[in-house]
Amino acid sequence: MSKLLEIKDLNYKKNNKVILSDVNLSLDKGKIVGLLGENGAGKTTLIRLIVGVNAIKEGVITVDGAVKKVDIKQNVSMTDHLAGFPRGTKLSDIEKFYQNVYPDFSTKKFSEISNYLGLDMTKRIAGLSTGTLGKLVIALTLSRETKLYLLDEPLSGIDSMTRKKIISSIIRWKSDDSTILISDHYVTEIASLLDDVVIIKDQTIYEVSSVEDIQEKYHLGIEDYYEKVYEGGLPNE
Amino acid sequence: MHFVDNIPIYLQIKDILNRRIISNEYELGSQLPSVRQLAVQFSANSNTVQKALKEMTDEHIITPRRGKGNFITSDEEIIAEMKEHIVTEMFDTTYEKLRSLNMNDQEIVASFNSYVKKRDEKNE
Repeated sequence: MSKLLEIKDLNYKKNNKVILSDVNLSLDKGKIVGLLGENGAGKTTLIRLIVGVNAIKEGVITVDGAVKKVDIKQNVSMTDHLAGFPRGTKLSDIEKFYQNVYPDFSTKKFSEISNYLGLDMTKRIAGLSTGTLGKLVIALTLSRETKLYLLDEPLSGIDSMTRKKIISSIIRWKSDDSTILISDHYVTEIASLLDDVVIIKDQTIYEVSSVEDIQEKYHLGIEDYYEKVYEGGLPNE
Repeated sequence: MHFVDNIPIYLQIKDILNRRIISNEYELGSQLPSVRQLAVQFSANSNTVQKALKEMTDEHIITPRRGKGNFITSDEEIIAEMKEHIVTEMFDTTYEKLRSLNMNDQEIVASFNSYVKKRDEKNE
């Protein structure tokens, strides 16, 4: 399988504090990969580095062969929690904004997903519940026809019915050759969605393994495995 | 759909699909739902569904037809064999457990017969 994302020898410091060190990672095309780690482990930082929001000082990130920040941005769709929009902005205006900014934004896909999720485009951001905002964010992110999707805690703070709906829309609208990296705390809930998991611990990528290997080798669920990794109590290999 | 979290999901999906075929929920010779439909139904990744279908193909339970999807075999023998296999597996576990209670074969058969009888009465 060919690689879609490759990270080599990435180091990242902020205010002289090491956030990530010696990060090496490669993701295959077409996979759904879970990014797991404690709060503050560096999940969001890693996602922001991939998409180019935070600048890299040491290391190389390649997305589908592209190394330049401008080119990478075109290949990556990241969840944006829309904090930059005035609270009174209508949803339909946010859609227009996406159409203008991203040439790969598919209006057709967006209308399918927003219908499925029951979004009312005449509403304003200020009037949205956390769940509805989460639906909007996922609809906008998945509507870009691109290679790599970075979903940063798309289910955080969202009720269980809405979580299921969001998970289901990810399955329905993921194209076969695109890759999704999804960070989350609801490990068990997204477990059936994942091909592989990437665990971040002690400022670096502790491990990348396939969900099937974990189940076959350790007879553990992803959540148990992840907790054991953090406690350092994994059965010896 | 609830999966056991420590067993590979493709195996669990395969198991569910096989049971649907044996119970005739999916008829012999008919077409299986598409990979995407199954993925949505099981809340699973389409790669995982693909993997389950690949094994079922290898076991001749389904046959992919180019551009048309996957079709369930019309060969009753294959299905009968699969059913036999599943039933044996279930009996294996039960039998082992009963034997570990120090029951002999006669006692096991007798208690099973009386169990079936009780179930019948309950349902009437």
